[in-house]
Amino acid sequence: MTDSYADGAPERDSQSNTSENQQDEGIVVRLIPVLVPALLLLASLILPGFMFHAGQRGSLPGLGPAAWPGAVLAALAVFSAIWLAIEIWGFARSRKSASLSAPHDEDVYHYGKAIIGIVLVIAFGWLLPVLGFPLATMLFLFIWCLYGGLRNPLVLLLVPGIGTVALLWVFMGLALMPLSRGMGAFEGFTIALLQLIGIY
Amino acid sequence: MQTLEFILGGFQSVFQIAAFLTVVIGLLVGVIAGALPGISFVNAMAMALPFTYTMDVTHAMLFLGGIYVGGVFGGSISAIMINVPGTPASLPATWDGYAMTKKGQVKRALTIAVTASAIGGLISALMLTFLSAPFASFAMKFSQPEFFAATVLGLVSVIAIAKDKPVITMISLLVGMAIGTVGVDPLFGQARFSFGVPEIESGIRFVVVMIGLFAIGEVIDLVATDRDLRPKKTEGKAVGASFRDILDVKGAILRGSGLGCIIGIIPGAGATPGAVISYGVEKQVNPRGAEFGTGVEGGLAAPEAAKNATTGAAMIPLLTLGIPGSAATAIMLAAMMLQGVNPGPLLFVMDPSMVYTIFAAMIIANILMIGAGVGVAQIFSFLMRTPPAILAGFIVILSLIGAYGVRNNIFDVYVCLVFGVIGWVMKRVGFPSAPLVLGVILGPLAERYFLTSIANSHQDYTVFFSRPISGSILFIAALFVLWSLWPSVRARIGRRSAAS
Amino acid sequence: MTLYHSLKTVLAGAVTAGLITPAAMAQDYPQRPIQMVVAFGPGGGTDIMGRQIGKMLEAELGVSIPASNVAGASGNAGLTQMRTDPADGYTIGTLISLTVASWAAGLGDSKPEDFHVLSVVQNSPSFLFVAANSPYQTAEDLFAYAKANPGELTVATSGYGTQDDVTLKLLARDGIQMENVPFQAPGERYASPIGGHTAVLYEEPGDIAQFIEAGQLKPIVAFSAERHPAFPDVPTATELGHDISGLDNFRAIAVRAGTDPAIVEKLEAALGNVLASEEWQNFCTETYSCIEPVTGDAAQSMVTDFLQLITEQLES
Repeated sequence: MTDSYADGAPERDSQSNTSENQQDEGIVVRLIPVLVPALLLLASLILPGFMFHAGQRGSLPGLGPAAWPGAVLAALAVFSAIWLAIEIWGFARSRKSASLSAPHDEDVYHYGKAIIGIVLVIAFGWLLPVLGFPLATMLFLFIWCLYGGLRNPLVLLLVPGIGTVALLWVFMGLALMPLSRGMGAFEGFTIALLQLIGIY
Repeated sequence: MQTLEFILGGFQSVFQIAAFLTVVIGLLVGVIAGALPGISFVNAMAMALPFTYTMDVTHAMLFLGGIYVGGVFGGSISAIMINVPGTPASLPATWDGYAMTKKGQVKRALTIAVTASAIGGLISALMLTFLSAPFASFAMKFSQPEFFAATVLGLVSVIAIAKDKPVITMISLLVGMAIGTVGVDPLFGQARFSFGVPEIESGIRFVVVMIGLFAIGEVIDLVATDRDLRPKKTEGKAVGASFRDILDVKGAILRGSGLGCIIGIIPGAGATPGAVISYGVEKQVNPRGAEFGTGVEGGLAAPEAAKNATTGAAMIPLLTLGIPGSAATAIMLAAMMLQGVNPGPLLFVMDPSMVYTIFAAMIIANILMIGAGVGVAQIFSFLMRTPPAILAGFIVILSLIGAYGVRNNIFDVYVCLVFGVIGWVMKRVGFPSAPLVLGVILGPLAERYFLTSIANSHQDYTVFFSRPISGSILFIAALFVLWSLWPSVRARIGRRSAAS
Repeated sequence: MTLYHSLKTVLAGAVTAGLITPAAMAQDYPQRPIQMVVAFGPGGGTDIMGRQIGKMLEAELGVSIPASNVAGASGNAGLTQMRTDPADGYTIGTLISLTVASWAAGLGDSKPEDFHVLSVVQNSPSFLFVAANSPYQTAEDLFAYAKANPGELTVATSGYGTQDDVTLKLLARDGIQMENVPFQAPGERYASPIGGHTAVLYEEPGDIAQFIEAGQLKPIVAFSAERHPAFPDVPTATELGHDISGLDNFRAIAVRAGTDPAIVEKLEAALGNVLASEEWQNFCTETYSCIEPVTGDAAQSMVTDFLQLITEQLES
């Protein structure tokens, strides 16, 4: 969906006569620039109601803690409305976004690869506190190298291994950062590893 | 000329081998840490603090001063080379610096950046040495309304930077400012937008947002586009910057340095607003301002000079008044206090040799920085030869370490990941992300300056205009908006009249 | 060590990690670095205290004790970390009155029972300070002016709903009404009265020692039951007829509740030695915050009592 949008497909679609099915898809893509300001407008109108979880406390002097975020969100609502108007105007006239344009400098963009990359990065961040920094990093580097197309077994062994030890030395050994050691048995593993390489 | 005598003594102390090495090591640590995506100079200084325990106070300050000077520049190396700002202050370096890299002028961009930074830093170190007393008393005239006005000028500059889409830039900025309100508010101690999650009460830090938006998004693009970071073959030795190139941007460097020196004194502001305001001003003043963003030398030199010009200026309130205006100078204060030294007005009286050694070290560090910057840039261009996949993997890890290291909190890693995804989407659809980061930086400052000003003036809202300095700054800000928006308004009117 | 042996050590560590008995752990404690969680950013009074204690504890316990700044939500982010790390004594941290007061204001989800307070290491009453060139050089002058011109004088404080706010409210109850002007950044708070932008500063003396020594800020009244030994000429609020005390700023070192008593004992003993040392005495004298160390149940109840006091004051 975003793929065709970024490739500048909307313009192409509007010029060429494509099949019914494809045209539907094109309309959805063209509606995205309209949907974003609409959602922003909605959010900036709803969010003030969720500012304080347990309600604002007592009587407060001065403007109170709600004044500033309220003003920012009000301004956001106004500008989102303007943007929405511009987009609807542009949509009605030329069926393309009036303000957003995808970067054109890349010839090829592999969306599938990008999505997998994002999933890998998120998985790494999520596993960090569970597995601990050393294990998670080693695993991540290994999979990332595979994902990046490296197949040389020596590289796949050395990059995660040496890389992780080097990072551990710099950040936990030298800079004394309390990076995550992981939970349960993984914590025991991390501590043993750190003792082994002389950091603890 | 007592000052001259003292500063000569200061130079003598710095040129002793131990002191000199301390400065050089600090400088290298700063440039390298700054250049690593995710690790900012504030991070690096906090990590270095324990090493100063065993030093005497002068060496501790030389070490931290070196990291500070080097780190503020270092962020631009990764900004220029891989479009990932190492510190928020290097955001403007991605606009024209990276554009130059794309044109195959990476060496030229780096040389201009390091020279501009060094000149800016040197000017502000000289100001620190010879003018700190008058500037300190000038700074004491500033209060919350002036700080608010200066922050407004920063916000306005963000709009002025936008080329032709002020509405979208404004929305990006406002979203950033809204994100900046998350967490405990600055005056009332109440949690906003926490949705009952205790971790959110800590708020969202701008460095974490920046790492997410820029580093993660860029890494994904790197692997998804088969981009080759290896220096292009066309780039021979001749493409480096010549002396002539530096002379061509001397106006930009001087304007940037001047702005940086002034903005650096303002507490809370520091290098990032300095660089952004200077870019905004330069865009209006420079004859090639309309081309900014496509790799114009002046658009790189001005913010580079400005951000390093804030380093010496920020140390004036620290050393003369004992008041740290920024996170970096607060760490320096901690280092001094852990050695039992209380900076403040008495420091100049009790221990002038130490103060002037620090001054001399700041001057030397900025001169040495040219060498350090070029050297580290060499190492980095060597690292660029590794396969992009490996490079990208390490950038991801460093980014998450950096996000974690801001407050040693795993929650910040999650926030960074969320903004990583958002940043990637924004990049793909062409929604500007720099204003968002600047909104997260400047929004909370504007809020507390505004509310404290109001409380201090018995709820009088005219205080911002009735005070001469803040009134003038706000007037300049208003002019700035009109001036920067005028071309696009004129174009629209022109188009309309042409159509009719 | 060969690779085989290394691997064996690591694996053995992983396997035995879950099996080591608490008693054995306490006996060998400490075997690896202890993390000192400082619940505020670098450069503040709490940070310097935490680093100083960590530095001195290293010599006592023989392992490194790096400080890690976990700032956010008035110190509650750091407490969350202390509370969620394993109760094995390898995470210690700072617990200060400001954070306890923030619980009364509804921040965080920590309770006094979540922590075992090892020792209260610093304690200091707050004072009102005026600039050297202020027209009010004594508390009597200041209070008289405030009574005659309610709300005109401004006081730089750390925020609404804090000890500072409670003190000002108690003064207002006695007819001395001054405007609370919160400054979030400490540096700006101190600079404001010196630059003549606010009339008065509410602060503890340790954080502004350099300005007191330079004569730029002058204490005029102490909010404590007795006069401060370092400022024998400064009257207390009680002497002037305003019974305001018990809102002192304390800083304590704590571990997660449920930590092995043997480990707690070791830490308490080491802390006791640190606090008795000459280096610490010099440090706390310079920051005007020396106290007789408060440990055990007394330390624990100091936290609960303070929370109760602030809660009552905020609700009234």
